[in-house]
Amino acid sequence: MVPRRPPDSDALRGSLDLLVLKALSLAPMHGWGIGLRIQQISRGRLEVNQGSLYPALQRLEHRGDIDSSWQSTENNRRARVYRITTKGRRALGQEVDKWKRFADTITLILES
Amino acid sequence: MSMLSGLVARARSLFGSRASEARMEEEFEFHLEMEAERLAASGLPPREARRRALVAFGGLDRHREEMRDGRGTRLVADFASDVRYALRVMRRSPGFVIAVAITLGVGVGVNGIVFGYVDSILFRPMPVLNAGQLVGVFAVDGRSGRPGLLGYEDYVDFRDRSGAFAGLAGATGVPLNLVDASNGSAADMVWGEMVTENYFSVLGMRPALGRLFTASETPEGADPFVVLSYESWKERFRGDSSVVGRVVRVNGAEFTITGVAPKGYRGIRTFGFWPELFVAVGMHGVVMPGSNNLLHGRGDGWIYVVGRMHPDWTEARTESAARVFASQLAHAFPATDFNLGITLVPGATGFDHPGFVKPTVLMLASVMGLFASIVTLLIICANLANMQLARAAARSREIAIRLSLGCSRARLTRQLLAEALVLSLPGALVAFVVARLGPLLETYMVPHLQFRVGLGASMDYRVALFTAFVALIAVVLFGLAPALRASRPKLAPSPASVIGTRSQVTRPRGRKGGALVVVQLAMSVVLLVGGTLFVRSLFVARSIDLGFAPANRLLLSVNVGLQNYDEARGRRFYEQVLTRVRMLPDVVSASWMFPVPFDSYGRGITLYTSGARTNARNGTVATNASFVSEDFLQTLGLRLQEGRTFAIGDSLGAPDVIVVSRALATRLWPGRNAVGQRANLNGADGRVLLVVGVVGDATFESLGDRSRELAYVPLRQHHRDWETLIVHTRGDPMLTLPRVRAVVAAADPALPIFGVSTLAQSVESGFSTSRTAAGVSGFFAVLALLIAAVGLYAVVSSNVTERTREIGVRLALGATPAGVLAFIMRGGARLGLWGLLIGLFCAVGVARLLSGLLYGLSPSDPVTFALAPLALALVILVATYLPARRAVRLDPIAALRSD
Repeated sequence: MVPRRPPDSDALRGSLDLLVLKALSLAPMHGWGIGLRIQQISRGRLEVNQGSLYPALQRLEHRGDIDSSWQSTENNRRARVYRITTKGRRALGQEVDKWKRFADTITLILES
Repeated sequence: MSMLSGLVARARSLFGSRASEARMEEEFEFHLEMEAERLAASGLPPREARRRALVAFGGLDRHREEMRDGRGTRLVADFASDVRYALRVMRRSPGFVIAVAITLGVGVGVNGIVFGYVDSILFRPMPVLNAGQLVGVFAVDGRSGRPGLLGYEDYVDFRDRSGAFAGLAGATGVPLNLVDASNGSAADMVWGEMVTENYFSVLGMRPALGRLFTASETPEGADPFVVLSYESWKERFRGDSSVVGRVVRVNGAEFTITGVAPKGYRGIRTFGFWPELFVAVGMHGVVMPGSNNLLHGRGDGWIYVVGRMHPDWTEARTESAARVFASQLAHAFPATDFNLGITLVPGATGFDHPGFVKPTVLMLASVMGLFASIVTLLIICANLANMQLARAAARSREIAIRLSLGCSRARLTRQLLAEALVLSLPGALVAFVVARLGPLLETYMVPHLQFRVGLGASMDYRVALFTAFVALIAVVLFGLAPALRASRPKLAPSPASVIGTRSQVTRPRGRKGGALVVVQLAMSVVLLVGGTLFVRSLFVARSIDLGFAPANRLLLSVNVGLQNYDEARGRRFYEQVLTRVRMLPDVVSASWMFPVPFDSYGRGITLYTSGARTNARNGTVATNASFVSEDFLQTLGLRLQEGRTFAIGDSLGAPDVIVVSRALATRLWPGRNAVGQRANLNGADGRVLLVVGVVGDATFESLGDRSRELAYVPLRQHHRDWETLIVHTRGDPMLTLPRVRAVVAAADPALPIFGVSTLAQSVESGFSTSRTAAGVSGFFAVLALLIAAVGLYAVVSSNVTERTREIGVRLALGATPAGVLAFIMRGGARLGLWGLLIGLFCAVGVARLLSGLLYGLSPSDPVTFALAPLALALVILVATYLPARRAVRLDPIAALRSD
C-alpha cells in the first residue's frame, strides 16, 4: 500500500516555485546554489528544506519554466545547472504581480 | 515548445527510469558534498559537516520518492503489481474468467460484425476522390413519384447542358463472356459494368495498376479497352502485373486490358453484382449485342447515373438545379419526358436504385443494428458489473483493510480497473475471433448467385479499431462501476467490524439489479417472439404451393448474342438443342424459358387492352413476361386452367398468341373469360396477341411478392438472345447435366453455359431472405436469452451470497432445504414473471409491426406466443435453481460464521 502523501498545500508549493524562479532569474545555477541564494536573498529568514528543492525543480522543468544541463563547475565537478526559460520568466512576472496584489489587499485590510 | 520539452522529459523519465535514477543520485550527492564543504570551511570536522548537510537536506528517501512520483514511474510500477495481483485472482476462479471471456467476447464481437456491415453500407467511402461530392441521379415519374433510370440522351443533355453537376457519368451492369486467350482457359460468364467514357475521371479513381481509360481515348466510337476490378485481377489473373496490355476476348471481340481499378471498388451499385470488367459504353455493339439504339432514347432508360457536385454546392442546391433542367427537357421533349423529374441519393459509399432500396430505410436499419448491438453490450457489461459486485462484496473485508491503511480511493480504483482490464483480455481475444466471423457470415447469408454479390464487409483496420474501442469502453464500464461502488467508504465495513467477526449488514443493491434483469428478460421475450415468428414464417412459406413443381428440374442458361448470332442462327440453335435434349434418356420434357421462377433476372412486356384498368397515360399495362417454348407447361409443372397451351404451330407466320396467368387474366379482363381476348403489344397500334389459355398462378418472384401477374409469350414468335433451358428429368437432374452440356457444346463449342443449377436450388436461394431473417433474429433471440439468464443468475447468486448468514439462521432454526430453495427461488421467479409479463405486452406490439414481413402467418400466432414464454420460463427456472441449490447445500454452522 502506498502511504498518503504528506499534506503539502498548493500555496506552499507555489511559493517555493516562485522563489526558485526568482533565484534563477538572476543567473543559471545548480540546485545547491539555488538553496544558498534563497537563503541569502531572504537574509536567512527563510529556511528551505534543501531536499525539497529538487522535486520543485523537476516540477518546473516538466512545466517548461526552466531547463537544465550537466556542466562542469569551477573545481571541475559535474553538476546539473538550471536556467530559466522565456516561459519561466513570463510565469515569474505573472506570479510576482499576483503575489503583490495579494499582499497589497491583505495589507489594505489589515491597516483599515 | 515548452510543453513539448515537458512531454519529452516525462517520456524520457518513463523509459529511462534507471538513467534518471542515477542522475538523481548524482545530483543529490553533489548537493550534499557542496553543503558539507561549505560547512567544513566554517571549521567543522568533515564527518560532522556531512551529518549536518544530511540533516539540512531532510529525509533523503522522502525526496527520492517524491522525485519518482513526479517522474510518473510510480504509476507504471503500481500498474505492474496490480496486473500481477489480478492474474493471481484470476487463477483462483477460472470459471468466472471463462464466463467473462465468452459473454464479453460475443458481445464485443457482435458489435464488430454489425459495425463491419454498417461501415460498408454507410461509412466506408468508395476508393475515389472526394467521395462526399458524389450523388446518384435518378429520374422520377412526376405523377406516380416512382424513381427510374434515365435514358441515354437525357443523360447526355444533363451532362453537357444542365450545368448542375461538375461531372456526370453513367454505368449499367452487363453479363459478359470472357476468354483469356493467353492461358487458354474456357469461356466464362462474368459480370461487367458498361460505363460512360468519363466514368473513371468523374469518379476520380486512381488505378491499382496501369491506367484507366478516359473520355478522350474512347469517344463514342470507342476503342476496345477494358479495365479489371481489383478482385478479378487478384483472383482470375492471379495478381499478374504483366496483365496490362494483354488482349482478352470479350463477347468474341478482342479487348486490351489497360489497367486495374482500385482495391475495394465494386461498382457503383451497393447491392449489385460485383463487376469484374469495366468496358466503355461506346463498345455497346459488342457488349450488349443487338442493342443498336442504346445511345438513344429518353424517358425510361437504362443508365445508372453518378454525378459529382460542384465543389461548394449542397445536395439540395444541386437537386433543385437538376429539377429546373428536367422541366426544360420535359418542355422540349413532351413525348417522352413530359413527366420527367429528378431525385438525388447520397453517393459517397455507392448507392442503389431508390425504388429498390430506400436510402433512409438503409440508414435506419443500420442505426438500429448498431444501437441494438451496443445495447446488448451495455447489458452484458451491467451483468458483468453485477457479478463483479457480488465478488467485490465477498472482498469487502480486503477493501476495507486497504482503505483503513490509507490506500486512496483513486489508487483502489486503479487497482480494480487493472483487474477488469486483465479480466477482459481473454474476452477481447474472443471478440476479435467473433468479429472475424463477420465476413464469413456474409458469405453464408448472401445468396449464391451466378455472379458475386455482397457488402464486402471485411475485417479491416476500421473494424479492428472499432472493436478495440468498444472493448475498451466495456472494460471501463464493467470495471469502473464496481470499483467506484466498492471503494465508496460508507459501503465498506468499518475497521472495527473487520477486526471483530460480526459482519456489517449492507443493503444489497438488489433493487437496481432486479430492475435491470426485468428489462433484460422483457427484451429477450420480445426478441424470442420475433425470432420464433420469423422461423415459423419460414416453415409456413416452405409449405405454400408454389404453383409449379420444383423437383427434378435442371436449369442452364445461354446467351446466343454473346456469339453474335443473328436471329435465324439463334432459332436454329434453340431448335437443335431442344430436339436433341428431348431425345436424351431420363428426360421427360424440356423447354426454353426466360425468366424461370426465382430467376435473378426478369423480363417484361407492355400490353394495351381497350378498357383495361390501367394507370398509365397511354392505356397500357406493364407485366412480367416469360418467353417460352411450347412444352413449358408440363416441363415446369404448371396447371392449365382454361383454353390451350402453345404448340409448335404457334410460330412465325401464324397468328400471335399468348397465355396468361390467372392473376393477369383477372386484372386485364375482370369478370370475363380471358380466352379469346386480344391485347396489343407495346401500345394501341402494336401486334395483336390472342389469348389462347389461362394457367394457374405460379410464384415467380420472391415470396413476399403478391404479384403473380405473368404473361407467357412463345419464343418462336418473339425471339430473344438470352434463354434458360429447363429440363424435367426422371432422377437427379445433375446426373443428366453432362449429356445436356454435350448437346449444347455440339451445337456451338464456343458458347458459354452459365447459371447451371436445379430449380429446387433456385427456389431455395429465393428463400434466402426469409432464412437470413430467421437466422439473424433467432441468433439474437438466443443471445438475449443467454444474457438475461446470466443476469438473473448473477442477481440470485449475489442474493444468496449476501444472505448466507440469514440462510444459515433459517436452516439452524429448522427450515427445510425445500423451504429455503422455494424461498430463494421465489425472489428470482418474481423478477422472471415481471420480465415475462412486460415482455409479452411489448411483443404483441412489435409482432404487429412485423406483420408485413411475415409470410402466411398471423402476427398473433398462438404457437409462437405459447412457445416463447415456455422457453423463458425454463430458462428462469434453471437460472434461479442453480444458485439457490448452493444455498440449500450450505452447512448451517459454517454459514453462521461466514460474513
